[in-house]
Amino acid sequence: MIVRLENIEKSFGRFKALRDISFTLGKDERLALLGPNGSGKTTTVRIISGQIKPTNGKLEIFGKRRVDESVKRRMGVVSHNTFLYEDLTGYENMEFFASLYDVDGDRIKELLQELGLWKRRHDLVRNYSRGMKQRLSIARALLNKPELIILDEPTTGLDVEGRTRLFEMLSNFKSAMIFTTHNLQEAEQICERTVLIREGRVVYDGSSENLESVFQEVMQ
Amino acid sequence: MKFLRIAIKDLRTEFRTKGTINFLFLFAFLSIMLFSATVGDPEPALLWVVFIFAGMLGYSRAFLREVETGTLDALRISPVSPSSILFGKIVYNAAIMLILEVFVIPVFMAVFGIYPKNVLLSVIILTAGNLAFVIVSSSLSVLVIKSRARELLLPVLLFPIVFPVIISTVQAFTMAVSGNLDGIQGPISVILGFSTATLAVGYLTIDYALIE
Repeated sequence: MIVRLENIEKSFGRFKALRDISFTLGKDERLALLGPNGSGKTTTVRIISGQIKPTNGKLEIFGKRRVDESVKRRMGVVSHNTFLYEDLTGYENMEFFASLYDVDGDRIKELLQELGLWKRRHDLVRNYSRGMKQRLSIARALLNKPELIILDEPTTGLDVEGRTRLFEMLSNFKSAMIFTTHNLQEAEQICERTVLIREGRVVYDGSSENLESVFQEVMQ
Repeated sequence: MKFLRIAIKDLRTEFRTKGTINFLFLFAFLSIMLFSATVGDPEPALLWVVFIFAGMLGYSRAFLREVETGTLDALRISPVSPSSILFGKIVYNAAIMLILEVFVIPVFMAVFGIYPKNVLLSVIILTAGNLAFVIVSSSLSVLVIKSRARELLLPVLLFPIVFPVIISTVQAFTMAVSGNLDGIQGPISVILGFSTATLAVGYLTIDYALIE
């Protein structure tokens, strides 16, 4: 088991963002975290990626109770926020993050070529299109060949072509994946399993097939 | 009379948030205190006003910029310890400070006609005082990043905390410039002790400050 969440709760002041989140993620499994805006998807993945700590509950990731540096070395995160330095070039961004993961330059070249950014590597990120930034963000997340990749609404702001290209890339991923979305079709297309969250609680955990009828049933 | 409406709107906003007015009052208060500590010889204090103003504008930016662009999250998810992030920012700010010193000190001395009796000691004291200012502002800026009013909160917190360092640096610098070094150990001890204590507090609290 790569990730195990048991009765996770998270409060921000008086606001309870997560009330009871429990699910597991196995090796090479693809899991969609589905839910309407404000349901707690992003808070859940921020806890898993170590950006915030849960108020209550038990989190286990790669067998550890704490998201420390050794855990972070084994995961990659892609978000709707690209996590990139706009005033650095694409290559400089990759070089910086590679230094944090102790990854060499060959891997940077390999990823930039694979994601079609090699020719524009010396351009400032602020001059990239939204699609290019997202591809660079994916390249950054793959630098360390992660065993777990977390994608938090990665299609936000992408046009149809960018979305199609992203889905093609995701279909080639071999590692375990958590994919948050509020789009039923995206969950069905990318992941074999879906966890449906509503108001900070898991209300469905099962197959991604026939999600529309499940969604309507659960949400009523 | 539309200009009056604009002015009234701005005043209403200002008195609600008190952001600019707090900053202005604190800066004015600090300047008065600085000059009062160097009666008869205000140039060293004047030099420090330059450094404070530059530092207030610049040093906090290292962290706040990461918050604004969302790249602080990129550091949070990377295998890098929170203390490394803090020390990285301190080193960056210290480098900026040294560049600033290299240009500002000679210009200041030329403009005001100040020729320190002990040049090396004067530069060391200024650098130590500035370094203490960098450490305090870098450590404090981490603590305010979660606040919505972080840009305004920082000077309010920073001025009272950094005040002993500023006064001690001005006193020690005045002594070094005049060549009268009697009792210079006192302010130097305050600068070094304050820097070490702030660095230790920053190191011990950064984990809690950075991870929500």
